[in-house]
Parts: sequence; C-alpha cells; structure tokens
Amino acid sequence: MLLPHATLAEPQHFSLAEKLIFLALIVASIAAFWRRFGAVLDKILKSKKDPGFRLFPIGRRVWDFFREVMCQARVIRQRPLPGLAHAFVFWAFCAFALVTLNHCATGFGGAFLDPAGLFGRFYSWLAAAFALACAIGIFGLFVRRFLVRPRWLGEDLSWESGLIALLIFVLMVTYLAAFFVTDTAPAARVLWWIHSLTLLAFLPVIPHTKHLHLVLSPFTIFLSRGGFSAIPSLAGDEDFGLVAGKDLTQIVSLQTYSCVECGRCSEHCPATNTGKLLNPKEIVLGLRGYLNEFGPASEESLIGKYVAQEAVFQCTTCGSCEFQCPVGIEHVPILVGLRRGAVNTGAWDDDHGGKLFLALERGSNALGLGAAERDKFIQRQELPIFDGSQEYCLWLGCMGGYDPQGREIIADFARVMSYLGTSFGVLRKEKCTGDPVRRLGNDLVFQQLAESNLETLQQNKVKKIVSICPHCVRTIQTDWKEFGTPPEIEHHSEFLARHLDKLGVSPVPRLEPGKEKIVYHDPCYLGRYRNIYDEPRRVAALAGDLVEAPRHRERSFCCGAGGGLAFLGEEKGERVSHARAAELAATGATTVAAACPFCNTMFRDALAATGDGAPQLLDIAQIAARGLPRGQPVKMNESL
Amino acid sequence: MKIIVAIKQVPERDAQVRIDPVGKWIEELDVQFALNESDAYALEEALQLKEKHGGEVIVISAGPERAGQVIREALAKGADRGIHIEADDLGSRDALGVARLLAAAIQPENPDLVLAGLQSEDLGLGQTGVILAELLGFPHSSLILHVDVTAKGLKVKRELEEGWFQSIELPLPAVLAIQSGGNKLRYATLMGIKRAKTKEVRRASAGELGADASPVVILEGISLPQKQRSTQILPGSPKEASAALVEKLRFEARVL
Ligand SMILES: Cc1cc2nc3c(=O)[nH]c(=O)nc-3n(C[C@H](O)[C@H](O)[C@H](O)COP(=O)(O)OP(=O)(O)OC[C@H]3O[C@@H](n4cnc5c(N)ncnc54)[C@H](O)[C@@H]3O)c2cc1C
Ligand code: SF4
Ligand code: SF4
Repeated sequence: MLLPHATLAEPQHFSLAEKLIFLALIVASIAAFWRRFGAVLDKILKSKKDPGFRLFPIGRRVWDFFREVMCQARVIRQRPLPGLAHAFVFWAFCAFALVTLNHCATGFGGAFLDPAGLFGRFYSWLAAAFALACAIGIFGLFVRRFLVRPRWLGEDLSWESGLIALLIFVLMVTYLAAFFVTDTAPAARVLWWIHSLTLLAFLPVIPHTKHLHLVLSPFTIFLSRGGFSAIPSLAGDEDFGLVAGKDLTQIVSLQTYSCVECGRCSEHCPATNTGKLLNPKEIVLGLRGYLNEFGPASEESLIGKYVAQEAVFQCTTCGSCEFQCPVGIEHVPILVGLRRGAVNTGAWDDDHGGKLFLALERGSNALGLGAAERDKFIQRQELPIFDGSQEYCLWLGCMGGYDPQGREIIADFARVMSYLGTSFGVLRKEKCTGDPVRRLGNDLVFQQLAESNLETLQQNKVKKIVSICPHCVRTIQTDWKEFGTPPEIEHHSEFLARHLDKLGVSPVPRLEPGKEKIVYHDPCYLGRYRNIYDEPRRVAALAGDLVEAPRHRERSFCCGAGGGLAFLGEEKGERVSHARAAELAATGATTVAAACPFCNTMFRDALAATGDGAPQLLDIAQIAARGLPRGQPVKMNESL
Repeated sequence: MKIIVAIKQVPERDAQVRIDPVGKWIEELDVQFALNESDAYALEEALQLKEKHGGEVIVISAGPERAGQVIREALAKGADRGIHIEADDLGSRDALGVARLLAAAIQPENPDLVLAGLQSEDLGLGQTGVILAELLGFPHSSLILHVDVTAKGLKVKRELEEGWFQSIELPLPAVLAIQSGGNKLRYATLMGIKRAKTKEVRRASAGELGADASPVVILEGISLPQKQRSTQILPGSPKEASAALVEKLRFEARVL
C-alpha cells in the first residue's frame, strides 16, 4: 500500500534554463491576465463615482466581509450542500496563498517554508487537508453542474466551468501527490512542473471567464451600499438615474463584472418564473455587455441593445434576487435606477403608468379617487381624528383609505386597537406615501408626495405611526429619509404580536373547530425588506394550526403587486398572483393569512381561481378581531 | 408655428371649499391649486403640434403669485417660455376683463395659433377663449378634440352632443378652445422641471397692459349647494317595486 511521507516533496535544484523558462511563463501568464483584467479594471475605475459613497462606518463592511466572504455564510445558507463544497474550494484557495508563494519561490531556489521544519510541516499538512476537501468539493460541483444540471444554471453547459474545475482538481491532486514521493525522485520534479503550469494556465483564465468573481467579489461585498434594496439619492441637476453609460457608477460596474452567472437571482424571480421577459441575471449581464461594447463614458442609452425596457418594468421589486445573490449584487437599485432613467426623462410611455403618475401629480391617492371618498369612509367608520393627544397615528394608506378590502382591514384593526385601549387617530389629510412612483422611478412625484406628507405629519405633531401596509412602512421609514425625518413607524403585525397576551382571550371562531389550518404568506416588504417573520405568524396562529408553503420566510414568492405593478394593468403570460395562490392553496390550508393589503387584493381573485374549496383570505388584523369578546361593541370615538 | 396657450390655475378638484366672509369668493387659504384640466389638454395639443411642425410654445396665465406654479409646470412639460400677467383682482373681473388682459399680452407676440381650455373648472363660463378671439380679431372654434395643420390653415375636429363630431377648416391665425380627453396627457418629469428652471418667464402687470378692468358682469354672490337626502322606500312585491323604481329613474331622476 502507498503511504504518504511525513513531508511534502519539493524539488531542490533547478537549472538556469528551467528558471528562465519558469520566469518567462510567469511573465506571459501575468501579461495574459492583465490584458483582460486591466481592461475590466479600467472600465470600473472610469465609471462615475458613487455620489453618496462613504467608506465609514467601516465596521459594517468588515463584518459583511467576514461573514459573506470569509465564512461564505450566504453561499452556504442558501444552498447548503453545493455551498459547502464551494466554501471548501474557497478556504483551500486561502490556505494555498502561502503554499503557492512558496511553490514559486522554490522554482528560483528561494523556498521559505521548510517542509521538515515545525511550521512548514504543520502548514503543508494543513494545506493538504484543505486540498483534499477542495478536490472532493470541486468534483462534487463538477458532477452537479454537468450531470445533475439544476434548471436555473441554464440550458447550455459551460465549457469554462469544466476547464476551471479540471485546473483546480489538477492543482490539488498534484499537491497531494507530492506527499507520496521524495524530493529527489524525478516524479517530484514532474509534479512540481505540472502544478506550476496548471497554476500559470489558471491565472489568465480568471479574467476571461466568470471566475473573475474570484478577484472582484470580495471587493463587491466589502464596498456594497449595504442595507437592502438601498436606492441611492440622485445627485446634482444632471442625475436622472441610469440613462446611459455615463450614469453607471463604480459600484454598479464592479457588480456587473462580479456576476458568477450562478442564476440564483432568477430562481425565485416572480417574473422569470411566470414566463416574463425579465431575468435579473440577464439585466446584470446586459449591463456588462453594454460596458464591454460602449464603455462607462458612453451617451448611448442603457435601455436598448442590451437591456429591454419591457423587462425593466416587469420587476415587482420583491428583492428575491438581491437576497439570494452570493456576490452581493444589488439588483433592485439597478432596476429602479434604469426605471428612473426612463421615467425621469419621459422616455417611458405606458398608458397605465402615465395615468398613475398624473393621478398622483394632482390627486392624493394611487387609485385616482377623490379625497372625499376617504373622508366618507372615516365618517362612516367613526374613526377618531388625530389631534396630537393620541399615542398612535393610524396611517390608512391608499389601500386602507380607498380599497374596499383594505378598508375592512383598517376597520378590524381599529376595533382591536380600541379594545386594547390604545389611543389612536387618523389624519384628516393624507397622501399616497409615493411607494409605487418611487419604485417606478418617478422621482419628481415621489419627492412632492414625501415632502407634502412629512409636512402634514409635522403639523399634526405625529410621534408614532402604525400601518397595515408594509409598503407604506418601508417608504415612510426608509425612502422619505431623503427629504426629512419621518416619525417612528411600525407595521400592525409588530403591534399585534406585542399585545398577543390580551388578544387570545376568547377563542377565534373557526371554520371547522380544531381543524383550521392557516398558511401565512410572507409579504416581500415585511419579510425580506423588514426582517419580520415571526410576529405575523404568532398572530395568525390565533385562528388555527400553522402550515408553511414550500417557499416561505426569506424565500417567499411575491404576490405580483410590488414595484408599482399593481397599477400597470394586465401582465403577460401567467399571473404571478395565480402562481402563488396555487402554491398556498396546495398546502391544504383552510385560511390564507396575509399581512399586506396589496397581497390581499392580488389573492382575492387568484384564490378564487384555484377552484372549489379555495381557502378563505384574511388579514392578520381580521384574525385578531375575530377573537374579540362578543357582545360589547367597541366604540371608536370614545376617548380612551 | 408660434402657439400661445392660455392656462388657468384653479382650486384642486376635490378641494373642500368654504365661502369667504364677503360671500363673493372662496377661502383660498384652505385649498390647493392646480392646472385647469382642459388647459392641460390645450397644452398637450400645442406640444404635439410643435413636435410635428416645429415652432414655439408659449404659455400665458393671469393670476396672483401662486399662478407661477402652473407656468412652471407647463414649462416642465415642454413649453418654451411663459408670460405671467400678475393680477390679484381677477375675482372682480369678468370673462371680458380677463380676456382683455390676455389679448393685450398676446397681441405683440403675433402668434399663429392661440389655444385655450374649453372652460375653467372653477367658474365654468366658457367665454374667455371666444372673447379673446374677438378681441384679437381671429377666427375661432370651440370644443376641439383634434387639430391638423393643412396647407391653408387648420382642420379641426369638434365634439357635438350625443357622440357626433364635426370637422371644420379655418385659416390661421386662429383661436381654439380645447375640450378635455382628445389626447393622452404626458406626465411631468424631473428632467423637465430641472430644464424649466432655465426657461424665461416674462412678468407683466395688469397696469402695464393697460386693459380696461371695468366689468360688464357683476358677481353678486356665491353659495354652496344644499345637500339634501330624501330616501324613499318603494313598497310592494319586488316586481312592483322595480317597476316603480324604473318609473322614477326615468321620469323623476331622468337618468334612464
Ligand atoms: C355644446 C355645449 C353644451 C353645453 N351644455 C351645458 C350644460 O348642459 N350644462 C352646463 O352647465 N353647461 C353646459 N355647457 C357649458 C357652459 O356653456 C359653460 O358655462 C361654459 O362652457 C363655461 O366656460 P368658462 O367660462 O369656465 O371658461 P373660462 O373661464 O372662460 O375659461 C376658458 C378658458 O380660458 C382660459 N382662461 C380663463 N381664465 C384664465 C386666466 N386667468 N389665465 C389664463 N387663461 C385663462 C383658459 O384656457 C380656460 O380654460 C355647454 C357648453 C357647450 C359648448
Ligand atoms: S426584485 Fe423580484 S421581480 Fe425584480 S428582478 Fe428581482 S426577483 Fe425578479
Ligand atoms: S447576479 Fe448574483 S445571483 Fe444572479 S447570476 Fe450573477 S452572481 Fe448569481
């Protein structure tokens, strides 16, 4: 049986000719690397500087780097098995940095690690352990890509990936094999040369393939804007978003060149999954193609040859792509940036979109109804008017103020608040938060709405807001910051979960006692955008036993309404809401619990279309209200 | 083609209005103002004519300081320059008085075409455009949905009652009063607003224009409509009740 030696075998003497050949190969390899890499770097550096970029506070960046790069947290969390295989390849690369330096130094007679010395021996064995894990890992990844072939990796087999896997495998095997020979054996020299040649072949392959991410993605993650779907402020009088190459910032360019083409972003994309034109990966690669052809200073429109306008306006801004991307690409700001470019310059022409913009330029709500409709609803429901003395301002939002189903949610939530003895009031005047126009890229109308609302809130001395709509919550708390200081705001799920002990007092009436199964749908703007997953589930559980849909929590599948799409009319192909409703109904649940009035309208028809025995649809506020004690009507107007 | 569009700032459509203490106008402090709807269509028509045939679009508005807002909006949507007739006394001027102001400011510009909205959302008189044409000595036509430029002048499509349309030709220069709904309005853009900052707005005071302010129509007072709710329960079987309902809808409410 062949047993490894205690030490790694490295040839000790190299002839002058060998040294010269090695040197020439190194120079050639680096030159071939730089020819492409230099060009890429040049495009990134010549891109526009990110106006709002700040390196500090650096703690967050260091932490992101540690978690996402060093620990490969997202890579593993989102795909445990292949993720771990990838992580071992990565860790082996890190361990091999020193080994490779020493390997090259050996070729010039300057080895600094003594394989027989204490540290040298320890380190070479440590590297060997990683090499073994890496070889197994890369073999596994090879099998997955070429034999298992998951759907999201696309139809075409990538010869590049095969080549890279082979090179890495040879590197590891030649390293490990050196434990089985002695320094002086000719085999040691042969192994050394194979290892060297593989290494020198590997280097130029990196920038010519998607393995460019080896070099770029650590920077991409370290330099990312941070936050989730952080839409940058426009800077100066000539910034209208992503119109042409000259508007691509360094961070965007860096991101486009970092894409590994892994397809994770498309896997849960509601647009890609329902046969729309949009595929977030193609958007990133489209921008890369644009940069390759036109470069970062170009005046050529971004929307055109490489990026289709139709695709850009199919995004629901659900953020699933951004959440999944292992190299930290921020798709939503890119997509919203492209929309801004098209809308802020008037290039986007769409009947529904135009109507929405005009409705919000003049009116107060995205539904295009008269503000008097909201007043009538407030009077009918006898909702108290906020006068500064109450604890909460209950924000109605467009759906809560104008949509029949949204109004039912408000009415029930108000009943719950009154029952709990929490004082609240609604504003006499309220405008749309601007969520749909923000996500559709209309900065002019968004600014008008944000400023007008901020002024109203300030005049009314509002300190705390509660809202039934995750889109309102996000827009008020995060997006309005560009124009002022919004009051504290929370989503009603957070409020309800805090008061749960006082809510389950009488049993919630169930369809079938003891048999009610509830499936909770995570709204994108509550889950991925706000990180709230457990609170609404605890409220929903008042009405029965919770079951989970196959895609839930961070991986929840969008209802199709976000990004202003609720207002853009009929979609092409399969409806996103129908796809999701079918998934929810298939859990066998008797009730679908929602926590967003937009999800609610989307599912209203979609659930009915799933056929007989479709589950009923309730907001968590409606579930909570059903458990209030009967018999004692809760009056809204009484001062509490 | 040099086109002038008369635009008016009116209270926002769903504004809750209150009558002022004198009883002749509304409390302006309560309400937000916006561009009159048919004027938005007049502007859109002008911009589309310019896109097709070249030329210049000038917007003109008479009103207090706040009227500058609708001029800026129009510039943002693509008008080339603006004229603001600064006047705080529009309440006491009748349609003739306003038209005199507009005519005095428009005359020196020698326009090929003047567009007005059909009627304003606040007063609803529908006269300003027509009187303006008389004062300028131009031919006019109102209720216009579509404008084509021909070799001899204009060919326009007018809206009549009950889905009828009329097509007429008239020479230039002319005044047209534009009906809402003929075109798809463009939305305002950030780029438009930024570009508008550099466009010229000429201010002219009513005094400078020297237009006669004495009204021929005196406004006596305004009042809010009285709300009255009278619910009737129609008795009888469903069949009888629905027959009675149809009867009432047809002859009392006249909606059928
Ligand atoms: C065929 C027909 C049928 C009708 N049927 C009915 C009916 O059944 N019932 C009914 O109630 N009415 C009806 N009307 C409407 C009625 O005649 C209205 O009184 C009239 O049309 C109202 O216009 P106005 O005076 O508000 O417009 P004006 O106030 O004269 O405004 C017209 C335009 O002049 C310009 N203008 C006005 N002031 C300014 C300013 N300060 N600065 C710049 N520009 C300005 C604007 O462009 C404005 O749009 C009908 C009209 C027609 C033609
Ligand atoms: S945000 Fe959602 S809809 Fe938009 S591209 Fe990403 S996954 Fe697709
Ligand atoms: S953008 Fe990110 S998730 Fe999408 S293919 Fe590229 S690396 Fe993968």
